[in-house]
Amino acid sequence: MQNIRMLQQQVNSLITQARQDIYSISATSDPTAKQVKLQRIWDALTSIQFLNDLLAAHAASSIAPANDRPPMNTMPAGQPISPTAANPAVAVPNQTFTIQDLANYDGKNGRPAYVAVSGVVYDVTNNRAWAAATHFGLVSGRDYTQEFASCHAGQQSILATLPVVGRLI
Amino acid sequence: MENYILPPEPLTNEAIAARLTAGARNGIANGSVKKKNLVYLELNGCSGNIISLLNGANPDFEYMIGSMVNLVYSNSLMAAEGEKAIERLMNALDEDYILAVEGAVSLRDNGLYNIIGTWKGKPLTGLEAAKMLGEKASHILAVGACATHGGVSAARPNPSQSVGLQDVLPDKNMIKLPGCPVHPDWFLGTLAHILLYGDPDTDNLGRPLMFYSTLIHDRCPRRPFFDRGIFAEKLGDKTCLFKLGCRGPVTRTDCPTRQWNGHVNWPIGDDTPCIGCAQFGFPDAMAPFISYDTTRVVKDE
Repeated sequence: MQNIRMLQQQVNSLITQARQDIYSISATSDPTAKQVKLQRIWDALTSIQFLNDLLAAHAASSIAPANDRPPMNTMPAGQPISPTAANPAVAVPNQTFTIQDLANYDGKNGRPAYVAVSGVVYDVTNNRAWAAATHFGLVSGRDYTQEFASCHAGQQSILATLPVVGRLI
Repeated sequence: MENYILPPEPLTNEAIAARLTAGARNGIANGSVKKKNLVYLELNGCSGNIISLLNGANPDFEYMIGSMVNLVYSNSLMAAEGEKAIERLMNALDEDYILAVEGAVSLRDNGLYNIIGTWKGKPLTGLEAAKMLGEKASHILAVGACATHGGVSAARPNPSQSVGLQDVLPDKNMIKLPGCPVHPDWFLGTLAHILLYGDPDTDNLGRPLMFYSTLIHDRCPRRPFFDRGIFAEKLGDKTCLFKLGCRGPVTRTDCPTRQWNGHVNWPIGDDTPCIGCAQFGFPDAMAPFISYDTTRVVKDE
């Protein structure tokens, strides 16, 4: 019951946010700001759709609690889990890795996916560009200082978004 | 005041297409838009793009060859054959034309791995044709993954030494429409834009922004699952396909909203991961297309 209440609150706050965004789009003439707001409205709508599905699953399970329960019902509803929280392997930030250690973190069979750039080891397990622990033909568990410099020179902001797990020695 | 379209302006694909078609018709009628010649050259590829194009709607292919352009040459679709066909290709050089190329250019043995016809008793290679026609075209469209960057034809080990069109025409401006195959709307829409308004705005890789500006991931209907860390464990699961190797997070196209086969469905809508076919480097850089032994959390950990 508590969950349903929280879902409803989430939907309501998303709707409020979308209303506010629609209002500010109508007031602004800056195309970039418009684009950002439109993106957020889109995201809000997909979230609303998702929460609506959850509510429907709730409703269905309260009527027929027996078998055909949708699998999404088992997740902790209402609380957005950050993708990193799904990964149980929590590493100490001042951990050190040799290149052989690093090779173990290849993202296979439930292991986390780490890569090193300029001596720093980053966690890319749930990074959006590292689906299946691979990125444009590169596999995780290796040092990619050269590759990073050749493709993303000067784009330190990419690294700044990644969780640091340790240093490469 | 008379020509304003007041909101709510219909934004369905049909309504937008109807407005564009009416615009083009009026333009042709009052002489401001000219029908141009189109040469559609198929080089080293699988002809998938022209087949995809035949599936186009709003406008359809018939409308394209009848009302938008004069299709003067197409390996697959023209009635003429043999030297007669190549003669039409050579005659096209005398006039203004738009060149659309699908397929990669094979460099091995001077292009002999890809012969598109014979001219005056000699084989005409794809390499020669691409260079000759590319030099004189008013606009060049590289259609599909093979033409834009080599694609499947240039995948390892690449026995025919195939390259993308830009590699043999390094100094020419071209519009690149990656995709395997290209969506008919991406090709027909770009062609219509050229006829009506000139070259469309492109990104630094030559892709028209109107089709290739957003990541699939940012428009994916399964995005809330990714944000909450709920991942599919097998094909057919309705949750986020990221852990199976979905390339939506690196691929820039409008598949989630445009959809395929006459706007019916798209890969993720049918529970398979995006394989990144519209991203430069496909297929080698996008492999593996599916992966089962990946970072998903196992129970006994």
